[in-house]
Amino acid sequence: MATVAIPAAKWNWVPPNFVSPYPQGRTANNLDADAQLVERCLAGQDAAWEDLVKLHTRRVYSICYRFTSSDAEAQDLTQDVFLRVFKNLKSFRSGEGLFVVWLTRLTRNLLIDHYRRTRMDRATDSIEDQVKVLEETTAVLARTDGMLAGREASEVLQAGLQKLSPELRETVILRDLEELEYREIAQVLNVPEGTVKSRLNRGRAELARVLRRHKVRI
Amino acid sequence: MTCAELEILLCDYVDGTLRAEERTALESHLAGCSDCAELAKDVAGVTAFIETVAPAEPPAELLTRILHELPSGRPAVEKRSWWRNWFGWVHGFLQPRYVMGMAMTVLSFSMVARFAHIDARQLRPSDLDPVKIWAGIDDRTHRMWDRTVKYYDNLRLVIEIQSRLKEWTDQEQAQNTEGSKQKSEGSKQKAESSTQTTDGSGQKPEAGTSEKKR
Repeated sequence: MATVAIPAAKWNWVPPNFVSPYPQGRTANNLDADAQLVERCLAGQDAAWEDLVKLHTRRVYSICYRFTSSDAEAQDLTQDVFLRVFKNLKSFRSGEGLFVVWLTRLTRNLLIDHYRRTRMDRATDSIEDQVKVLEETTAVLARTDGMLAGREASEVLQAGLQKLSPELRETVILRDLEELEYREIAQVLNVPEGTVKSRLNRGRAELARVLRRHKVRI
Repeated sequence: MTCAELEILLCDYVDGTLRAEERTALESHLAGCSDCAELAKDVAGVTAFIETVAPAEPPAELLTRILHELPSGRPAVEKRSWWRNWFGWVHGFLQPRYVMGMAMTVLSFSMVARFAHIDARQLRPSDLDPVKIWAGIDDRTHRMWDRTVKYYDNLRLVIEIQSRLKEWTDQEQAQNTEGSKQKSEGSKQKAESSTQTTDGSGQKPEAGTSEKKR
């Protein structure tokens, strides 16, 4: 069995030279590239459409996978998202916000629809899934002595995310995994920035409790 | 700094974007508040853990599937021709509901005009005189009423019902007349027989009448 190794509560747990892993703002080049791609798509260029899909498939798939925890569902949802983008690209105005924010909002709305639609299915499967995830996590931790990284950490995180409420889960995904700015998350979720930060704190704290319960060293 | 204020600043603290004075105030609060210190430890621990997580990679065939399933790979944008730009507003009125509404309006106006005996092709200013229009409507109404009555009277079913009713009434009248004849004959015979009995035993009928009177 893996040992629980959580550092003692100290006030100076953040290193003094701590540098945030998140970009403080996207580069102007990226923004221009998105805006130009959208314009070319609207002008009817097939190559631009292909570039747009290539550029953003990974982000959309990642959000869908982290939220649903299912590869098949994430693939189907990603397809649906791009089908919606294809139909509604005309409604995107580059002056009103970033394409990434627009795309993420579209993805999030689709995910929430999916979540509500599949509520009954999850209610029947949830007990079996939880037992399965717990067994797998325990096996992984026994092998790695609680120190996880890479793909194994991804699986454990995935199991932990499923324990969070949809509100907290989506906030943690958008900030910690997709690295969106607070302002952008607020636009995607249509809530104030303060609410985003509050949900993020609660989501992270809840996730820490879940991981500790699964004997993950954090 | 209160715990609520700390919660608002905690995200920026973990991001490393707090100003020096805010950071100092936050850290001094953490030193004295075990709950906030615990929260901050959890938040930072999870953030550090998520950094080690491998990104979720989509399978290679997903991109192909998406591009294949999108209709012709071209967004739903079409170039508008010059006449569409000029007469684009007409397009909005060519929806089925508007067309249907307009058709019904034209139809009802034409029916009213026809009913009022107004012929649009030969319309003259004198035709719009209210008296003339009223006279026309009145005339049409009477004609239509007469025609309706005539049509009703000529219906086969109505004729059959009327003839059947007539037969029944005739039969009833015939029965009534026969009954009255028989009755009158019967009364005559009775009268005759009563005269015969009074002739035979004179007292009885008088006694009967006297009993009835009592």
